Amino acid sequence: MNGPWFVEILARSGEVLQRLRVEALPIRIGRGYGNDVILDDDYAAAAHAVAELDADGRLVLRDLGSRNGISYRGRRHAVLALSGDTVARIGHSALRIRPADYPVAPELRDRTLHRWEGTLPGAAGVLLVGAASLFARWLSDIQAMELVRYVEALAWGVGAALLWSGAWAFANRLFGRHARLGRHLFVVGCGLLALSLTALLASVLAYAFSREAFTHYASHAATLLLAGVIYFHLCTIRPPHRIRYRWICAAMALLGSGLILVGNVQRSGRFSDELYMWVLLPPALRVSPDQGIDQFMREVDGMQAGLDRGRGRRPGDDEIED
Amino acid sequence: MRPSRLRACLLASCAAACAALTAAAPVLQREGARPAAQPPLVTPPAAPPAATLPAPGPGETDDSAALPTPSGAAQQLYAAARGDLLQIRMLLRNGRSQSTVGSGFLIGTGNLVLTNYHVVSQMALDPAVYIGEYVDTDGKGGPVELMAVDVLHDLAVLRVDRTGTGFFRMPDHPVRLTQGQYLYALGNPLDLGFAISEGAYNGVITRSFYEQLMFTGPINSGMSGGPSVTAAGMVAGINVSKRRDGESVSFLVPVHYAQDLLARVAQQAHPPKNFNPLIAQQLLAHQRAMIDRLLAEPLTIKSMGPYRVPVRESQQLRCWGRSNFRAEAEYTVDAVSCAMEAAIYVSDTQQTGHVSMTHQYLRSASLHPLQFAALASSRFRVDRTGRIDTARDTRLTRPACSEQFVHTATLPLRAVTCVRAYRKFAGLYNFTLLTASTDDARASLQSRLDLAGVSYDNGTRATRAFLSALGRSAPP
Repeated sequence: MNGPWFVEILARSGEVLQRLRVEALPIRIGRGYGNDVILDDDYAAAAHAVAELDADGRLVLRDLGSRNGISYRGRRHAVLALSGDTVARIGHSALRIRPADYPVAPELRDRTLHRWEGTLPGAAGVLLVGAASLFARWLSDIQAMELVRYVEALAWGVGAALLWSGAWAFANRLFGRHARLGRHLFVVGCGLLALSLTALLASVLAYAFSREAFTHYASHAATLLLAGVIYFHLCTIRPPHRIRYRWICAAMALLGSGLILVGNVQRSGRFSDELYMWVLLPPALRVSPDQGIDQFMREVDGMQAGLDRGRGRRPGDDEIED
Repeated sequence: MRPSRLRACLLASCAAACAALTAAAPVLQREGARPAAQPPLVTPPAAPPAATLPAPGPGETDDSAALPTPSGAAQQLYAAARGDLLQIRMLLRNGRSQSTVGSGFLIGTGNLVLTNYHVVSQMALDPAVYIGEYVDTDGKGGPVELMAVDVLHDLAVLRVDRTGTGFFRMPDHPVRLTQGQYLYALGNPLDLGFAISEGAYNGVITRSFYEQLMFTGPINSGMSGGPSVTAAGMVAGINVSKRRDGESVSFLVPVHYAQDLLARVAQQAHPPKNFNPLIAQQLLAHQRAMIDRLLAEPLTIKSMGPYRVPVRESQQLRCWGRSNFRAEAEYTVDAVSCAMEAAIYVSDTQQTGHVSMTHQYLRSASLHPLQFAALASSRFRVDRTGRIDTARDTRLTRPACSEQFVHTATLPLRAVTCVRAYRKFAGLYNFTLLTASTDDARASLQSRLDLAGVSYDNGTRATRAFLSALGRSAPP
């Protein structure tokens, strides 16, 4: 281990707040101006500690008789042996000392598309959001055409998307280095597109093939997609933590779905979001054959036993239906 | 103590029909209970004629054309009747605070009191929570014992610890009344004190499922269960309800229903312990008659555009039409609603024995099929108007629903049937059928059938009849 040495003062998260280069040992550390490393820490003594080599040639940090001493992993040490990864606490400051030949991890593979930053993805995101809000407005427009309603829908949609991605960009600037607003806008746009398409697809599948479950449980697909959007936002902030974020978002989706199920049961005694499928689509989309009235009435007859069982129960203790 | 509230609109159970017909639907108010809350009617009794005519002698009928001075007759009547007039109160067992108040009267020289079922409904349904007591015109009171109820005609018989003076006589054969004849309604309006109000008999009403007499005179909350008598003191009917949208339009239960109930009381050895099964039996009998009458002949078929829709228009089931015509809307919706104007009162919050059907014909030439589908979907989702899944209605079980794409003889449609069972009354259910046609990308026929308080067999029978009758004239 040879000099020069680097004293790194760390934040609680492990981030380096300050890095000082010291040419030779011993390194004097403390609040006083006579030190090599001056700590702006009211809990550090004027001459707090000194880093030097001990008899065996190992780097140690030795307490100079301070009131608060040197702590490492919760215990106080008069003399603390330092490897490059030992983070010692002096007063309220955490620091480690590394020699110039300290081995660092190999560089990460750069998967970022550096050309897909800034204006381009931002514009694409805004375009997607705008298109989705205009489509939603058009779909529910049952009055004579008035441009102002479409302009309003566009303004609300894009405004909400800007607010959402603005918050993420703020977090990105705080925890990453750049705001990456464009990227976040793009994530929002894609997310909204996916949400709309999924809802549409679920309706079409349910209507075409008489598979009501697709709309009865549509909120779970939406929850999963929302978790996905948050995952991509998080990855934009800190790409290396992909795996961790994947697990966090999966857990969030699971929690959200669980809350929806519990809420449905509490509110209506059913796991499904709706009492019946109310989606109606153009007849051309129907694929599966219709039933006869007899078949339908047989199904109605079949409900009597369950209802009569429910009669005997106290309100709230009804069977849970799916 | 529960807060003061008006007796509900008799059509409250048919939320969809009421919503569709707010302007047209009549509003009936039960004259039970609840003092206060309601602005008192200010219509004075009819001005008395000037001439003084001799009062007719006591007799079976009171159809003489000559009428006495009403105010004089009223004075005499009240003076003679006051001894047998009672106020009936429902009290909470805990704390003995009064919950509802109505009126009643002692029959003959016995200890039986006639009143409305809705005055004593709390005591009949929840005897563990409510008890009844009477107060007479002198302010003396005592306990009452429930002997019999007739939910369908809204009558009840009570037993008290005192006897009548013999003023109120039940005629042996039906009283013959002539239209315009004076009747005097007695009771304790709004808990203010005993009162007599004068009005005219105006014939038998067939709009309600069971016949009622129309009485054109003021009847207020708290007077229900009181008698309406002729000038000779013969009981003609029992005060029961009034129209809130009318001026002094009130209704009486004809006395012959009360006679039937008294005959039943005479036969029973001791009063029933639990009235719920009896009420369930009566409601079952009602729905049998109601559905039989509904389905006695095939439903009438009306045309709505290319669609053929079933309705039933009769004295009891009235139909009303409505259109959304607006210049700025890109679609048109025509609606027909048929609903029974009366329902059976079970409790303050529950009315049953009711049928309503609604058809909406929705169409648009200018909307894109997808836009039209969104519009039709939002209409088919009834959450906002007539909720099937009425928030935590604990008197009914949760709804069980069947949904399918069904093809009737001529029309493919989406059908949803939801059924809820009554917890207190075994064998009674509420049925709701919702349908939406799936044959046209720019037109939608959406129908709804509500059956409140029917047996499962009758529910499915009526649902099947309604569903099968939906059709269209020719393919598009």
